[in-house]
Amino acid sequence: MAPGKNITLKSSDGEEFAIEETVAMESQTIRHMIEDDCAESSIPVPNVTAKILSKVIEYCKKHVEFAATKPTDEELKSWDTEFIKVDLNTLYDLILAANYLNVKGLLDLTCETVANMIKGKNPEEIRKRFNIKNDFTPEEEADIRRENQWAFE
Amino acid sequence: MNYLPDGVVQQILSHMSSAKEIAVTSCVSQQWNQCVPYLPSLFFPRGAFDPHPRGERPHPGADVTIGRMIGNAVRLEQLVIYCPFSPSNLGTWLGCCEKSLRVLELRMDGICEKGDGGNRGTILDCVSVVQELETLKLWGVALMGPPNWGCLKKLRTLEIVGASFGDGALEKAIHACPNLVELALLGCDGVSSLKIELGNLVKCRLDFLGHGDSYLYLGSPKLEDLEIQGFGGIWIKPNHRLKRLCIAKTNGRVYNVDVGDNLPDLESLSLRGVQWCWSAISSILRLASEVKHLLMKIEFCGDFEALLPFPEVDLVNFFDSHPKLRKFEIHGAMFAALCQKNSLINVNPKFLIPNLEEVLVIVRSPLNAEQKLNTLESLVKHSPKLRRMVIRISQMKNTHDAADDFFEEICKFKCLNNGIVKIE
Repeated sequence: MAPGKNITLKSSDGEEFAIEETVAMESQTIRHMIEDDCAESSIPVPNVTAKILSKVIEYCKKHVEFAATKPTDEELKSWDTEFIKVDLNTLYDLILAANYLNVKGLLDLTCETVANMIKGKNPEEIRKRFNIKNDFTPEEEADIRRENQWAFE
Repeated sequence: MNYLPDGVVQQILSHMSSAKEIAVTSCVSQQWNQCVPYLPSLFFPRGAFDPHPRGERPHPGADVTIGRMIGNAVRLEQLVIYCPFSPSNLGTWLGCCEKSLRVLELRMDGICEKGDGGNRGTILDCVSVVQELETLKLWGVALMGPPNWGCLKKLRTLEIVGASFGDGALEKAIHACPNLVELALLGCDGVSSLKIELGNLVKCRLDFLGHGDSYLYLGSPKLEDLEIQGFGGIWIKPNHRLKRLCIAKTNGRVYNVDVGDNLPDLESLSLRGVQWCWSAISSILRLASEVKHLLMKIEFCGDFEALLPFPEVDLVNFFDSHPKLRKFEIHGAMFAALCQKNSLINVNPKFLIPNLEEVLVIVRSPLNAEQKLNTLESLVKHSPKLRRMVIRISQMKNTHDAADDFFEEICKFKCLNNGIVKIE
């Protein structure tokens, strides 16, 4: 693993991204592939489109930079907050990508953001916001509501 | 979101810990409901079961709900209960999560008041089943007898706030946690002397209300950060790594401080109290030669009941023996002790306070204004790196004759050194 070596990632829609190895290694998935010598010249990332992959790479690049410059907690938080200001669908796609590529910091950031959107809403509001189908039967729903009635008081 | 795999929904919901929020999410859909048992944290805040009757009696449904949610959890790692609950249920609840629980925080205000002396330890005995426990925080507990915790080998952090201890109960409780790294006992009483020996302890905060002559013996080779209040006699076994030391006593006297032969790593030292024996102050100041940040707020000296002023302190000597001092905070009586004519008469022109950057002086009395100002001027003159000097005037009686003169002098001083000196 020569320093400054470049790795190429290929998105599901065929676009290629050349990045430094240190940045690529922010993804535990890719790190294992490199360490196990399974990495060819270009690593396919089949589940992730170019749009999302470039966002993930932006995150990884910045956080590798942060490891060297050691910013204050505020600066870090401020950057992360700006970075994550995306629409809901992009947020989902980032969660899935961070999960597949195993980028812990990004996974925590995206999940925390969604969790914060859930807090304070009742079930109907949550379903509407996140486009979730209510798959309880009326009896099941009544049971569950009754059991958790205390939380609605 | 209905196309997100279960594992990811679980990841998202794991960032929630409030029991109410979790209860609401379980009503959203089948998938979400099925994720709830895998969530790692449950937090029941103080008012979780309001607006039903307030006070010490728990809400009738509270225990059932708490029990059900804990029982459903498959791998609960963190449990925090601030709302009132029936302690008799604690054993069952901890039994449900004994394999996975790592963090436990309980508010026990008034719960242990009832029962006779012999029974009071038993409520917390059930903590012994949680062998993986790493952090334990208890509020408002009464430990009249030693709890039967066996050996909580994995416990790293123990925090007890607002507790009453029976004889020997505290020492036995600490003895059950040999691997503690952080210990905090705040607002506690019932202890007249405390002996602690912990091989891994790095950070310790002790704040005890109480007896005039209580003493502390602390033996911890890895100790770096120690903050104590309420002890008159302090013995810290030598060969520690203290970087930060704060000793305070809000009533009564500090008569002895023994921290070994040197304090090579000490960067920050804070001494506070109503009355300290001069020998205790001088011995620790002598050892703290590497200190960068020093705070001294002690009102009186004296080895016995009588409250005495401080002996003179030679300013040049003082700063020569603490060459690394960067930040200096000194209050009232101790500042007066530094303001001595003699130490400033024949100051070697090469005298330097090389690293001093920030000074805070609190002045209560307008007496000896000239000497005080001389001292302040010397500080400014001999400190090339001084950026900020704040003079805080506190509780000065403006009916005192000297007060007007004092203010006039101080304002002149400020104007001459604008930019560095600030008056509050």
